[in-house]
Amino acid sequence: MDSIRNFCIIAHIDHGKSTIADRLLERTGTITEREMKTNQVLDDMELEQERGITIKLHAIQMKYRARDQKEYTLNLIDTPGHVDFSYEVSRSLAACEGAILVVDASQGVEAQTISNLYLAIDAGLEIVPVINKIDLPSAMVDTVKHQIIDLIGCKEEEIILASAKMKIGVDEMLEAVVQRIPAPKGDPNASLKALIFDSIFDGYRGSIVYIRIMDGTLTEKDRVRFFATDKIFAAEEVGVLEMQRIRTKELSAGNVGYLIPGAKDVHDTKVGDTITTADHPADGPLPGYKEAKPMVFAGLYPVNADNFSELRDSLEKLRMNDASLIFEPETSVALGFGFRAGFLGLLHMEIIQERLEREYQQELITTVPNVEYRVVKTNAEVVLVDNPALMPPLGEIEHIEEPFISAQIIAPAEYIGNIMKLCTERRGVYKDTTYIDTTRADLRYELPLADIIFDFYDKLKSTSRGYASLDYEFLEYRESDLVKLDILLNAESVDALSTIVHRDKAYEWGKKLCAKLRKLIPRQMFEVVIQAAIGSKVIARDSISALRKNVLAKCYGGDISRKRKLLEKQKEGKKRMKQVGRVEIPQEAFLAVLAMEED
Amino acid sequence: MASLYVHIPFCEHKCIYCDFYSIESLDPLESFLTALRKEIAMYAEYSTKETIETIFFGGGTPSLLSPAIIAEILDLCHRTFSVRRDAEITLETNPGTVDRDILAGFRAAGVNRLSFGVQSFHEDDLRFLTRIHSAGQAKENIRNAQKVGFDNISLDLIFALPNQTLARWKENLQQAIVLDTQHISAYSLIVEHGTPLARMVRSKQVSVLPLDTEAELYEFTMACMRDEGFEHYEVSNYAKPGFRSRHNSNYWNHTNYIGFGPSAHSFWMNRRWWNIRSIESYCEKILAGEFPLAGEEHLTSGQYLDEAIMLGLRGEGIHLDRLNARHGIDLVASDQSTIDNLISECLLVHDPPFLRLTDKGYLLCDEISKVLLAHLSVPA
Repeated sequence: MDSIRNFCIIAHIDHGKSTIADRLLERTGTITEREMKTNQVLDDMELEQERGITIKLHAIQMKYRARDQKEYTLNLIDTPGHVDFSYEVSRSLAACEGAILVVDASQGVEAQTISNLYLAIDAGLEIVPVINKIDLPSAMVDTVKHQIIDLIGCKEEEIILASAKMKIGVDEMLEAVVQRIPAPKGDPNASLKALIFDSIFDGYRGSIVYIRIMDGTLTEKDRVRFFATDKIFAAEEVGVLEMQRIRTKELSAGNVGYLIPGAKDVHDTKVGDTITTADHPADGPLPGYKEAKPMVFAGLYPVNADNFSELRDSLEKLRMNDASLIFEPETSVALGFGFRAGFLGLLHMEIIQERLEREYQQELITTVPNVEYRVVKTNAEVVLVDNPALMPPLGEIEHIEEPFISAQIIAPAEYIGNIMKLCTERRGVYKDTTYIDTTRADLRYELPLADIIFDFYDKLKSTSRGYASLDYEFLEYRESDLVKLDILLNAESVDALSTIVHRDKAYEWGKKLCAKLRKLIPRQMFEVVIQAAIGSKVIARDSISALRKNVLAKCYGGDISRKRKLLEKQKEGKKRMKQVGRVEIPQEAFLAVLAMEED
Repeated sequence: MASLYVHIPFCEHKCIYCDFYSIESLDPLESFLTALRKEIAMYAEYSTKETIETIFFGGGTPSLLSPAIIAEILDLCHRTFSVRRDAEITLETNPGTVDRDILAGFRAAGVNRLSFGVQSFHEDDLRFLTRIHSAGQAKENIRNAQKVGFDNISLDLIFALPNQTLARWKENLQQAIVLDTQHISAYSLIVEHGTPLARMVRSKQVSVLPLDTEAELYEFTMACMRDEGFEHYEVSNYAKPGFRSRHNSNYWNHTNYIGFGPSAHSFWMNRRWWNIRSIESYCEKILAGEFPLAGEEHLTSGQYLDEAIMLGLRGEGIHLDRLNARHGIDLVASDQSTIDNLISECLLVHDPPFLRLTDKGYLLCDEISKVLLAHLSVPA
């Protein structure tokens, strides 16, 4: 156990975490340069590579012969680097004793770096600071050194200067991992306690859980018990994770690896749960880490109503390796049977949506995302509302509370004006400004989550030429003057288009939304009146005039086949439309609110 | 009962809007005729199955051929198939290619119906459309045709030309009516993919008429034709009682037909096939003893039904009893509320045994087809 080191890499997006990970794998001979087809091995999901961010954490084991001539087993546990995923970071941290903190020499410390760093420090991890990309002409090595020293109070000589691209500093990092990060503690002879920090679902093998053994030894054929679900399975296969799964039949305290328990039901193996043996059970589970709290909710509906149960299966499989995804069935007058799903943030939602579409071939209609509201009713009852359509009637509402977050924005000082303007537009409450160094400011705001989930991050980036970084955490529920805005098409309310907005913005919002819907809903055989209403009061109106003519003039012998094929295609398109009353609504319309800012 | 179609793929000049197959040279005429004769013979076995009710010479410009050639082709059809004595024999005629003598020649050859491609009585329209004739020629030759004994004449007009006003379109219709033909086809301009017109639209040289104006012109046409005693029996076709195009009606009720010549389509039972769109390949294939096919399809019962509904709506209405007999579908019962809605909106009328479009319905014919097809629960 003395020769094991478990660590992760903390970095802001694009600061070079994946490249550093690749260099470590290469240097330890875990992978050869030739094998490295794409230059970032850890991001093996197609989506991750496209977005250049690590969404799902993975673990990989390396063997390293250090300068002290001893061979060490290094378990690198990957962490995601986006604000939506701080929960997953905490999962990774629980399995580690140390972390490499990577800061880009040309960018300096960013909000995300700080928040993840604090999580690591809170978890008692040893921090190995690294300044990456020192070869860049724009590198500000000294400035960044001082930022790091201010942040973690380390000594200057403890900071490793590296360029993963130029292969500088790789050995120093490995040595620091071996020398500075403590070996794991734990008793291989005690009762088994293994933490599930991730899991994936395999169509043939069932669930495969990634575990860190805290105490005890896990061997194949052990009967393992899962604390949370209280289910018992036979350990079918146990091993470590290199480029592939390597079967070792045994895994003991301090090590990281995988277990295939032969669980075919996605619900049986819960990330964050503790595994013990049925025959010599531990007295209790490990402390679970902070539960993922979904912040953003949206309806997910199959385009074709027949695919409802297929969508449920797909969601359940996704939840296998994404414990932060929650969902429950709901129905909509407009969209039929579907699910209300909760996500960590908008990026998380987009990723789930894309994975459902790409990996599970689901055709989806997603409704406009919203936050969860606390509604205090006149009879003092408190209800949580995660679907605007389910907001109690106006007369029953005493007041509505919405989630506020505290946001940290780090940006060059010259953009402070723009950023403050943006925050004010989003109903932000200014708290504080401090300076990280002479040019970079750290702004603190309290903002309603509802106003930042759509496009705040993009706006922040564009208003600061890409320099600003954002991190936020949930603060509290606050009373706000909120109203439910309904959309009516030919006097029938479209439940899936209801939104909750601040009263001051309702008129403008309603007007824009009606105008946007006018563009998205095709002309029909009758006039379509679009109205936005608060309760029974109509606050905006638009209309789509009736389609006057749609008939092809000619259809002779040579045209019939072509014409039929065209109609059949259009017929399919029509079947995909959703109907409210007699009005047919295309899928895009349900996300109209998101597209509104584009105009 | 069946029909024959003969595609004559030659034009003096190709009009900018036309996407029918033709070439602007008569050089390969002889080899074409050789191939055509052989192709007709290749279908001789069909002669035992059905009698021929109509023959249609389309194009291209069939009136570019001499009456003697037309007579020879017709003679061959008569010798190969059993053509009914009262068969409708139509020749598409470009007013710029004929005179009184030629028309008399066609009459003598056995043609008994002429379909004149007039398109407009305004000279500037004709120039825009790159027609080779004047309005005067069109009028003169229609009168010539009447004089030499044609008593079943149709003329084609195109509306919804760029910048066309209702007033100018009215003038066209009035001039057509004055000519006292038995049949008028009035097509709204289609910008066909790959035509010079499509390129002009794409490069914004020409802008298509707004949909609402087009609708207005079409509404006027339907009302005006009815007032003049024409029956509106298909989206773009109007006939005096007894003078509907029997040939085209056959296309629309799934009657069997065989098409000869490059690009011609055929339909027999539930098989549809079509010839190559190239006169050279067409001739080569036939010389080699092969059918010059470019493609074929066998209609599934679902496709057959879709076509029956689509063509029925476009035509005089969906014959509900026939639909039920052929396809086992009680259309009205299968989606009563959809049909009731369409009826209450004055788009459809239920006039047993027909379910037919109103004028307002004709304007939205494709939309209504889509609705009916989408709502129809077809038995598998």
